Amino acid sequence: MNTVVDRSKDIGPFIPAPDDDMIICRCEEVTKGEIRKAVHAGMWTITEIRRYLRSGMGLCQGQTCSRLVKGIVARELGVSPAELEPATARSPMRPTEMKVFGNEEVSA
Amino acid sequence: MERYDLIVVGAGPSGLSASIEAAKRGMKVIVFDENEKPGGQLFKQIHKFFGSKEHHAKIRGFKIGEELLKEADELGVEVVLNATVMGLYIDKEVTVRIGDGINHYKGDTIIVATGAAENMVTFPGWTLPGVIGAGAAQTMMNLHGIKPGNRVLMLGTGNVGLVVSFQLIQAGCEVVALVDAAPRVGGYGVHAAKVARTGVPFYLSHTIKEAEGDEFITGVTIHEVDSTFTPIPGTEKHFDVDTICMAVGLSPMSQLLKMAGCEMEDNPKRGGQVPIIDDYGRTSVPGIIAAGDVSGIEEASSAMIEGKMAGVCAAEYLGYCTEKELEETLKVLENDLESLRQGMFAPKNRGKQIEKTEEGIDISTNLLKKGYVTDEEIERFPGVTHKVGVHPVMECTQNIPCNPCQDACKKGCISIGENITNLPFVKNDSECINCGMCVASCSGQAIFLVDEDAGEGKATVTLPYEFLPLPAVGTRGFGLSREGKIVCDAEVLSVKSVPAFDHTNLLTISVPKEYAMRARFFKVG
Amino acid sequence: MEYRIAEHPILGVQEKGRKVTFTYDGKTIDGFEGEPIAAALKAHGLLIHRYTKKEHKPRGIFCAIGRCTDCVMVVDGVPNIRTCITPLKEGMVINTQYGVSDKPFEEQ
Repeated sequence: MNTVVDRSKDIGPFIPAPDDDMIICRCEEVTKGEIRKAVHAGMWTITEIRRYLRSGMGLCQGQTCSRLVKGIVARELGVSPAELEPATARSPMRPTEMKVFGNEEVSA
Repeated sequence: MERYDLIVVGAGPSGLSASIEAAKRGMKVIVFDENEKPGGQLFKQIHKFFGSKEHHAKIRGFKIGEELLKEADELGVEVVLNATVMGLYIDKEVTVRIGDGINHYKGDTIIVATGAAENMVTFPGWTLPGVIGAGAAQTMMNLHGIKPGNRVLMLGTGNVGLVVSFQLIQAGCEVVALVDAAPRVGGYGVHAAKVARTGVPFYLSHTIKEAEGDEFITGVTIHEVDSTFTPIPGTEKHFDVDTICMAVGLSPMSQLLKMAGCEMEDNPKRGGQVPIIDDYGRTSVPGIIAAGDVSGIEEASSAMIEGKMAGVCAAEYLGYCTEKELEETLKVLENDLESLRQGMFAPKNRGKQIEKTEEGIDISTNLLKKGYVTDEEIERFPGVTHKVGVHPVMECTQNIPCNPCQDACKKGCISIGENITNLPFVKNDSECINCGMCVASCSGQAIFLVDEDAGEGKATVTLPYEFLPLPAVGTRGFGLSREGKIVCDAEVLSVKSVPAFDHTNLLTISVPKEYAMRARFFKVG
Repeated sequence: MEYRIAEHPILGVQEKGRKVTFTYDGKTIDGFEGEPIAAALKAHGLLIHRYTKKEHKPRGIFCAIGRCTDCVMVVDGVPNIRTCITPLKEGMVINTQYGVSDKPFEEQ
């Protein structure tokens, strides 16, 4: 699905914009400018962006911002958001304390 | 680890419908839902549904939820609440958080009916307390009895934005404006019209410039945008509000399916990341089936049918019904679904600009731009006719799949014809007995009973009224136009509230004769 | 300003649990048992649930269904409790969350 593989593509330099200080990831307080800069620093996939900036890695696990981040990255790369592979889906799907996550109830 | 024939994730309209179909065929079914109460979004839907009888038309959403729950319960379906599914694995094992522990279950089939999450847009101030999702507003007022705010600006004119705006007014909030960056109202015209006639202005081709306030919202500024969505300087408008509500679309919550290894695609027509499925919701992993919004954004009526399909497919997969029964059942359900997916709002018409109705009538441009049909435009629709004596005036101007009005009239005055999306018309040879059933049955609140000449220079208009306090007979006030502007004096002649109307009160007002076709709402003077 | 809906035109008078008291930032206030903590706070016109870790910005109810985690507070000493889906109980101690603590930033 991830068709954005050609890393030799020239996406031009980072150009500051007036709304760069807009919070996109509400949990980790990551701004639009930080995300755009990260793309120009070579983070072209959602997974890279997440690991680099922690956007979508906070308490809500990207419930609100994943679509927004995808849109910003796609725009910066000049591709459609549909061409970007979304972040990996893995357990737990909801914020869970470690003591609960580790509390395996054998006889359900 | 406990084993079930079928594990359903999500107890919303599609999940419950799926569990019912499976249990009917003898399957041992368990449903997990992370919420405290079952029914998904149905319990927040207090409006009457569209469609036909088979689609629970003219029944309010929360009542449908109660019916589904009762049926599931009678069939022995286990519904476990406060149970969050944490993971779904390729061999159909699920991990569920219940209380402070993680439980493992194995399903021989799995139906994922997790629904959708709300989309959001950003603007300066969007993180301030007071900026909320439309779903949050619905949850607070319809589930918890709390007003989300006193003065609200709604962003988004799709059905969610329109329906929630109306619900906000019902809850006693003031909606100061409906705003949408798109140049046309996205939802049903009848939903827009019932909001507009209460006096809410529509601002299409407008977006939020900024929300104001230091600690919480105190105001908002909107501005107009051009066809490329670029703001036009000098078009700013300010509103004092304590709440901004966003209703800008939904995205499928499909992560569990991705986790389970189902093949996925990004399909803008379905609302985002969705599993690749066949016509009945079967994913690329045999025995894992998707139903409802998780496989493509639609609405609760179609979600229920998709749920039924998924339930039967699961039953057939494990041999609880024959292939023949499956085929026959799916054929019926497919027809039901197809009849819902008709009309100008059908999924296949998404993004298309429809200029004419199926009857060849020009669609009201004012309705799409301002939320109401003008006095001149309304006359061209087949439901709007003139007669001596009391007669129904049906201000239904778009092809949507809905027909309760036709069944409501015992005298056979109203006809829709073969196709459920046709605009209703009044039959010439029939006589209206002023019973009001058509007014109360119209889910779009678009039917009025009008006597254009009631004597002494007066006309009477009977309109649907779902607000409190209910004006008493003899109350004097004003007649409001479709735009929600005061146009004439009016007096309440009668107030009818009978159980058959299901909380849609019928207000009959007396207005000067010349306002018979213009006054469409009543405001206490 | 009254936030509770006394009677609703469709839903009538909503049934609530018994009235209980709890403390919010040290003040004793009331609410109905079993309703979400966030609903009880909103009924008193209290909108700010927390201040964010990085930028110290106020946050309140956003999704109201436990997804976005914006409404988290310190409840009975435990931070990051989603108040929109946590039922109110008699005697609960609910505090504004600053970062992940119930101590204001200047005291941290």
